[in-house]
Amino acid sequence: MADNAFEKEALSYLDALYRTGLRMTRSEADAEDLVQDTYIRALRFRDQFTAGTNMKAWLFRILTNTFINSYRRKAARPQTTEIDDIAETTLNSRMADTGGASAPEPERELIDSIVDSQIQEALTELPERFRDVVLLDVEGFHYKEIAEMLGIPMGTVMSRLHRGRKFLQQRLFALAQERGIA
Amino acid sequence: MECDECRERLYPYLDRELSPREVEEVRVHLDDCGGCESSFVFEELFLERVRSSATSDVAPRAVRERLILRIRRDLHG
Repeated sequence: MADNAFEKEALSYLDALYRTGLRMTRSEADAEDLVQDTYIRALRFRDQFTAGTNMKAWLFRILTNTFINSYRRKAARPQTTEIDDIAETTLNSRMADTGGASAPEPERELIDSIVDSQIQEALTELPERFRDVVLLDVEGFHYKEIAEMLGIPMGTVMSRLHRGRKFLQQRLFALAQERGIA
Repeated sequence: MECDECRERLYPYLDRELSPREVEEVRVHLDDCGGCESSFVFEELFLERVRSSATSDVAPRAVRERLILRIRRDLHG
């Protein structure tokens, strides 16, 4: 793969790497450094990239490794209290009790009422234990890819993803309740 | 398939991580069970909403420019 083509494709993932880095480090300065380190490593080791394979996954593997090895310790802790047991009684189970089949209107209304900034904030507030898995999931990676990036079994990816999603639902549901929507 | 088993497959189903046979088993149950179907519809909407807003933000222009400059400097000396 020619250097220019490689560089061009690699840079097309800059936004994705930066927003993920920002949510991982919770610091704009650290996110910028993390993304810079990621690219410098990627470009130095570009011979290890097999043309035609998934470059986004390759870059995210480098980002994740760099974060875990060099940034995790100093990453700011979330300000929210960590919830040990994410209750299953969330939005979903409450809504499911309304019975009936598809296209449930209150659910749609509730989801439509959530604004982008609230979701982005909730992602940053995810407890560390399941944050990485959720952040990689929203970028479109498969369970297997996430497992490889983080060096954890696929079953762990699935359970962390499940709990992370329930956490997001709880946060967003609480916000909707405050506004009197739910 | 019982409801419990179906709900366990909810995320893997929506994440397209099931085998064709497992997908079929879920579909058969959903056709018959309004409660499960409504859960699946809700979760699907929720995940779509989260994904679309999670991936809508971009790096600030200044950050992007600095990064590209530093990366190119490192690459080309």
